[in-house]
Amino acid sequence: MDLYFQRLRGGLVYLFLITAAFLSIFPFLWMVLGATNTSADISRGKFGLGGALFDNIVSFLAFADVPLILWNSLKIALLTTLFTLAVASIAGYGFEIFRSRLRDRLYRVLLLTLMIPFAALMIPLFIMMGKLHLINTHWAVILPSIGSAFIIFYFRQSTKAFPLELRDAARVDGLKEWQIFLLIYVPVMRSTYAAAFVIVFMTAWNNYLWPLIVLQSNDTKTITLVVSSIASAYYPDYGAVMVSAILATLPTLIVFFLMQRQFVQGMLGSVK
Amino acid sequence: MKKAILPRALAAIALGSASLFAMTAAQAKEITIWCWDPNFNVAIMKEAGAIYAKTHPDVTFNVVDFAKADVEAKLQTGLVSGVTDSLPDIVLIEDYGAQKYLQSFPGSFEPMTGTVDYSKFAPYKVALATVEGETYSMPFDSGVTGLYYRKDYIEAAGFTPADMQNLTWDRYIEIGKTVLEKTGHHMLGLDPNDAGMIRIMMQSGGEWYFTEDGDLNISGNAALKAALETEAKILQSGIAKPAAGWSNWVGTFTSGDVASVITGVWITGTVKATLDQENKWGVAPIPTLDIPGAVAASNLGGSSWYVLSSSDVKSEAVDFLNEIYGKDVDFYQKILTGQGAVGSLMEARNGPAYAVADPFFGGEKIWQNFADWLAMVPSLNYGIFTNEVDAAVASQLPPLGKGGSVDDALAAIEAQARSAIQ
Repeated sequence: MDLYFQRLRGGLVYLFLITAAFLSIFPFLWMVLGATNTSADISRGKFGLGGALFDNIVSFLAFADVPLILWNSLKIALLTTLFTLAVASIAGYGFEIFRSRLRDRLYRVLLLTLMIPFAALMIPLFIMMGKLHLINTHWAVILPSIGSAFIIFYFRQSTKAFPLELRDAARVDGLKEWQIFLLIYVPVMRSTYAAAFVIVFMTAWNNYLWPLIVLQSNDTKTITLVVSSIASAYYPDYGAVMVSAILATLPTLIVFFLMQRQFVQGMLGSVK
Repeated sequence: MKKAILPRALAAIALGSASLFAMTAAQAKEITIWCWDPNFNVAIMKEAGAIYAKTHPDVTFNVVDFAKADVEAKLQTGLVSGVTDSLPDIVLIEDYGAQKYLQSFPGSFEPMTGTVDYSKFAPYKVALATVEGETYSMPFDSGVTGLYYRKDYIEAAGFTPADMQNLTWDRYIEIGKTVLEKTGHHMLGLDPNDAGMIRIMMQSGGEWYFTEDGDLNISGNAALKAALETEAKILQSGIAKPAAGWSNWVGTFTSGDVASVITGVWITGTVKATLDQENKWGVAPIPTLDIPGAVAASNLGGSSWYVLSSSDVKSEAVDFLNEIYGKDVDFYQKILTGQGAVGSLMEARNGPAYAVADPFFGGEKIWQNFADWLAMVPSLNYGIFTNEVDAAVASQLPPLGKGGSVDDALAAIEAQARSAIQ
C-alpha cells in the first residue's frame, strides 16, 4: 500500500514538474518555431516547423546592421559587467571587512537606494549625461549601472563566509591590504564572481529603458532596441521579429549555460 | 597623490569615450528625423529625403527608427529635461497625441502657419495640430476609414455589392446576421477591449471625447452614446468574432474568417497581402450613425510631422517638409503605390496612382473613393487626454456586450476619465 502511494506521489510530482517545465519552455519553443514560419502563418497561430527561416533571416538582416548592433550590446554588457564586478566586490569586501563607526549607516543608505524606482532617476540622470556630453554614447549606458547597490549587497553577504583567518595569515605574511584583496579574496570568491557575472551580464544585455532614452542613432543602438523597433510596425513581419528575438536571447542563454555550475555554487556560497 | 588617481582616470575615460563613441558633430545641414515603422514611415521619409536631396545636395538626412512608444518616451524625456541637443530636428507624432505635446511644451515646436498653405490639406488634419491659431504640423498619413467586405460571402448570403453602399449600422448588423446564418462566417472581427470602433463611429458623428474648448465631453455626447449603443448591438448580435489583441484581430480577416473589416485605409496593404483572396474584396463607405449630422466618413489613427524649435537646421527642415509633403504630388503617388500611404494633401488625388483601378478589388478605384471620403472627415479637437479617456471607454465595453446599460457605461466612463485626467 505504501509503495502504491509513493508511486502515486512520484507520479504527481513528475506531472507537476513536466507541466511547469512545459510552461517555461513553451515561449522559447514558440519563438524558435515562429522563426521558421511566415508572418501570416504566425498570426494565424500555426504551431509547427515552416520553411521560411531563410527569408526571415534575410529580412531581419536587411532591417538593421546586425553585426554592429550585436557588437554594441556585447560591448555594453561586458564593460558594464567588468566595471560593476570591480567596484561592487571592492565595496562589498570593504563593507564587511573594515570596521568603522559609519559603516552600517552608510550601508543602510546604500540599501535604501534600491527602493528608488528608476523612472524617478531618469530625468536627472539624463540631464547629467547631457551636461557631460555623453548622450548617444555607450558610456552613458555603462556608467550609471556600475554602482549597483544590489551587487554590493550580494558581495557583502558572500564575504560573510570569507574566513578572516585567511586575511590574518596574509597580514602576518606581510601582504598589503590591496594584495590581500587581489591575491587571496578574489581567487577564493571566484564562484561569487561567476554568479555576479551572470546576473550583471544578463541585466545589462536585457537593459531596455535607459539605453532607449540615451541612445539616439541607428549605429549606437542595442539589440533590445532593434527588437522593439522591428516589432512596432503597423503590420509587423513576425518572422523577422522572431529571428531578432532569438538573437537577443541566445547570448544570455550561452553565458548562463557556460557558467551554470559556478552560478549555482556562487548562490550557495563560495567558501565551503 | 593616491587620491588624485581615480578622478583623473575617470576623466580620461570620459574624454576618451567622448571621442570614441560620440557621434561626430552634426554636419552643417544634416536633418535628423525620429519615426516608427521601418516599412512605412521610415521608408517614406527616406524616399522624401532622396527627392529633396536631388535639388538640395547640401542637405543630408538621418532617419532613425524607434518603436512608437519609444519615440514618445525619448521625446518626452528630452523636452522635460531641457537637454534640447538630444532632440531630433523632425519628429513624427500620432495625431491623437498632438495636442498633448503642443500644449504641454509650448514653444518647443515650430509653427509653420506662415510657410505652409494649409488650405490644400484635409481640414481635420490641420485642425488637430492647431493651437490658438498657429498650426504646427506637416499633415501626413490619413487614417480615413472604409468598409472592406468580402463580395463572395455577401453574395453567398443573397446580397449584392450595391447593398453594401450607404448602410446604416442597423442594416449592417442585419446583413451580418444573414451572412452568419447562411455562410457560417462572422461579419467582422472585434477586440472587445479596444475602443477603436467607438472612435470611428464617434468621429463620424462629429464629436470627440472633448469639446472644441478642450473640456471633457462624455455625458452630453450624442455621438459617443450612439456609438456605444451600436457597439453593444454588434456585440450582443453575435455577428462579431472576438479577437484578442492586434495580431489576432488581423488574423480574423487574413485567414478568410470574417466577411468585413471597418478600419483605417492603412490596412489596405495587409488586406492585399492575402493573395489567395484576390478579386474577392470590395470597399464601401462606412455605415452611418443614426444621429443628425452624421457622415459616412471617419478616421482611425494617422500621424503628422513636427519640427523642433531647438533644431539648428529648422528652416531647412520646414522647407524640406513644405517642398515635398506640402507640394509634391508625384511624391504622394510614389508612397501610395509603394507603401499604401494615403497622405492628406488633397490635390494628390489628381495624380495617376489614385486613378488606378485596383485588380485586387475587382477593378474598383478604391483610392479615388478614399480621397473623396478624406475630404468629408469631420474636424475635431482631439484634446490632450484622448488615450486616458480611451482606456476608460475600453474598460466599459465588455459589460456593454453582456447587456449592460449604455447610460451606466457613460456615467462610469465620465467618472473614470475625470479621475484619470485630474
